[in-house]
Amino acid sequence: MTASPSENSASETAAAIEEFADRVAGAVGGRAEVSHGTVKVRVAPSSWKEALTVASGDLGLVFLSWLSAIDWTNEVAVGDEPDEPVEERYELLCAVSDLSDGNLAIISTDLSHDSPSIASVADVYPGANWHEREAAEMFGIDFVGHPDLTKLYLPDSFEGYPLRKGFPLLSREVKPWPGKVDVEDMPENGTGPSTENPGA
Amino acid sequence: MSLELTFWWLLAIKLAVAAAVVPVIGMVIGYAEMKLSAHMQSRVGPYFAGGRFGWAQLIADGVKFIQKEDIIPEEADRPVFKWAPALVMLGTMALLVIVPVHPSPRYGIVRDLEVGIFYALAISSVSTIGVLMAGWSSANKYSMIGGLRAAGQLIAYELPLVLATVGVVIQAGTMSMQGIVSAQVAQGWPFVLTQFIGFAIFMIATLAELTRLPFDMPIAESELVMGYVTEYSGFRFLFFFLAEFANMFSMSVIAATLFLGGYGLWGINPETLLSPIILFAKVGVLVFLMIWLRWTLPRLREDQLQTLAWKWLIPIAIANIIVTAVLKVVL
Amino acid sequence: MESTFAHHLSEAAVSVELETEGMTLNIGPQHPSTHGVLRLVATVDGERATNVRPVIGYMHRGYEKLSEVRTYPQIITIINRIDWVSGFANEVPFVVAAERLMGVEAPPRAQWIRLVLTEMARISSHLVFMASYPLELGAATPLFFALRERERVLDLLESVTGGRFHPNFNRLGGVKPVYAAGPTTKKAGMDIPSGFLAETRDAMTKVLATCDEIENLVAGNEVFLARTKDVGIMPVDVAASYGVSGPNLRASGAGFDLRKVSDYLPYSEFDFDIPVGRNGDCWDRWWVRLEEIRQSCRIITQAIDGLPSSPLQAKVPRIIKVPAGETYVRAENPKGEMGYHLVSLGGLGPYRLKIRSASFSNLSILPWILEEALVPDFIAIMGSLDFVLGDVDR
Repeated sequence: MTASPSENSASETAAAIEEFADRVAGAVGGRAEVSHGTVKVRVAPSSWKEALTVASGDLGLVFLSWLSAIDWTNEVAVGDEPDEPVEERYELLCAVSDLSDGNLAIISTDLSHDSPSIASVADVYPGANWHEREAAEMFGIDFVGHPDLTKLYLPDSFEGYPLRKGFPLLSREVKPWPGKVDVEDMPENGTGPSTENPGA
Repeated sequence: MSLELTFWWLLAIKLAVAAAVVPVIGMVIGYAEMKLSAHMQSRVGPYFAGGRFGWAQLIADGVKFIQKEDIIPEEADRPVFKWAPALVMLGTMALLVIVPVHPSPRYGIVRDLEVGIFYALAISSVSTIGVLMAGWSSANKYSMIGGLRAAGQLIAYELPLVLATVGVVIQAGTMSMQGIVSAQVAQGWPFVLTQFIGFAIFMIATLAELTRLPFDMPIAESELVMGYVTEYSGFRFLFFFLAEFANMFSMSVIAATLFLGGYGLWGINPETLLSPIILFAKVGVLVFLMIWLRWTLPRLREDQLQTLAWKWLIPIAIANIIVTAVLKVVL
Repeated sequence: MESTFAHHLSEAAVSVELETEGMTLNIGPQHPSTHGVLRLVATVDGERATNVRPVIGYMHRGYEKLSEVRTYPQIITIINRIDWVSGFANEVPFVVAAERLMGVEAPPRAQWIRLVLTEMARISSHLVFMASYPLELGAATPLFFALRERERVLDLLESVTGGRFHPNFNRLGGVKPVYAAGPTTKKAGMDIPSGFLAETRDAMTKVLATCDEIENLVAGNEVFLARTKDVGIMPVDVAASYGVSGPNLRASGAGFDLRKVSDYLPYSEFDFDIPVGRNGDCWDRWWVRLEEIRQSCRIITQAIDGLPSSPLQAKVPRIIKVPAGETYVRAENPKGEMGYHLVSLGGLGPYRLKIRSASFSNLSILPWILEEALVPDFIAIMGSLDFVLGDVDR
């Protein structure tokens, strides 16, 4: 196995991914981004359901991989804060794929932090039913037109939206996130604790 | 002093023996099932209890069950719930009364009835009532479904069971168990040779009556948790447990009597004490067959079970009766 | 007047009698056949279900949130526990996702070892299915056949990784830290143990023999066929729209396998077939898994014959920070598509990690597939989907 054929095939793959991204973006009317081999197409919230309908129909992306969200915020209760400020929003993602070439596209849209609400796609992809219930309880996103937007994992009486960045994690309240000091030096440097058996 | 016992003393002793046989046989078969299934599955099975081969495993289990708390669900129909296991056990014990182990009319059988088979088939259904009582009174939906499944199943398989024995009755010309055995001893070969279809149907229906795999839908651990025994614990559970194995014995003993010639065997004088041993050996073969099937086959579905009974077993059994009757007249 | 009233009353009584009320049957969360803590609230009419509502979340451990407060090496430890029946296979897509963001590629030998161990995880997972599925249908004996072989495979996994269920063997940039803390003398033993290749070849022969044995015992059984054929049919378009993946999808007739179309591990260098079912019933799902065991044995045999030699670990920084970026890497896990959407802002841990687990989507089809099913078929269908509750609830 020499290096050149794999490089060739890698560039061919990259070209195919670009082409696929453009095709999806053109069909759903969005903006394509390719990052590390992953195709993401940004659409406006108003055309979210339409975009996924097109994806499941004309584009042949019939397989629903997953649907979830990201809470982009600068104020986090646990974990590291973003080094550079990000635009505050919820990003809703839905990954759909075909069943022939393994092309996967993530359709994405931005929802405001104040009133995250979007049309449900549970009738486009029936499998989105559970994913939307999960996103609703974890991020507090309202899916309009969902047949049964009850809690999926959490108890019915649970308050708050755990996957929001502002939701504290009890264990980290008790024992704070050590952040960037959590790493010991290499033993060869002589500063860390020795792993040699002291009795030997 | 005469060794001749009075009729009543003899009856009491015979009944005591028949009653004692049930738990003992239940334990023996239970142990056999544990050990055999283990060897079929590349396991060892009971090993430590009793020192060698785990022979005391079932005794230990019995002691354990007796020590356990007798839990009765809050919502249960208490008297029905309490008496159901007893009724199941009773059906089994009453069945042994008519089993001939020896040709002697005095010692070989507890009571020889003119309508022996009829009695056997009737009394074996008593445990069905016990099962239904258990399912109904437990106030548990799984028990309820299990009880109803049992009822449907036992009604469906009662018919082929009865029909399968008719051929034997026609050939023997009597319904008395002792009479059927002596007919086979007299002719020198068991009825299974001519009534093989009847025997096969009888064994299949027996498995269903015993609610053993592949017909164990009333219990069906993976569906109904434990079916009608779900809510039982301690000593009452032990009753169901023992009754299952004792029932295997009593149904096998009936099958051996009807089809395999009971205590008779070629070239052996039935008047000796070998007779009971021969009978038990035949029973052992049948019990082994049941255990073997139990650990090989998956479970049927309720509707498939009914299809098997009504569309296959019953028509075949009826055809078997007709053929037997015609041949009896012609030959 | 009074007689009319009485007549109406009696009529009402009759109609009340005829209208049977559905019974609510609550299956789980503690039940022998729900593989853990799944709960089904079924409305049944007799034994036929009119409506089934699965309730999940009894094992929700919040791994997505926990991942946000852990470093990358720490996350590998917890994602082992998602689908604990095939723990090793869970690690791979996550590690590959992080490596892609770092611009690192694991050396060939490490990739091949990952591949071998992933296939071993697949065999062990499918053997658990081969064990539990007949058991749910009432046949207890195949369990012992299958678990005996699984033990061989787990022993092999253990000999390499030190763990049977939770290997925790992947590192960013390779497998097993060559530069781990500890005495230098131990470094010689960091590669796969000696004798591993021969033992693997031997074990694969035995697994294949057991596959024949299981096929003989189970597939040759009329009762098993009657219970599984034409039960729980799942058309391919419905399956896809619910996100059903893996063997369940292939049983419905889609010849889609990420090992063939994706490059997360060097599967393109191996010769293997994708078994595809015809009807999408329980029988096909059983058969596809049995064939997959055989194909995995084929892959493993090829891999140990041609295991390349190279370091086990690419050069990665001592303190791992993954550069900002996001990617989604999915892998063909034993249960189906398992993927990680990794969003990094350049820190020690991910900003957001979306875990796409196979069983979650495979299970979401339950309300559709169990409608109008019989209670005994519930068990046959649920068992054939082969889910693990840890993989559902995450």
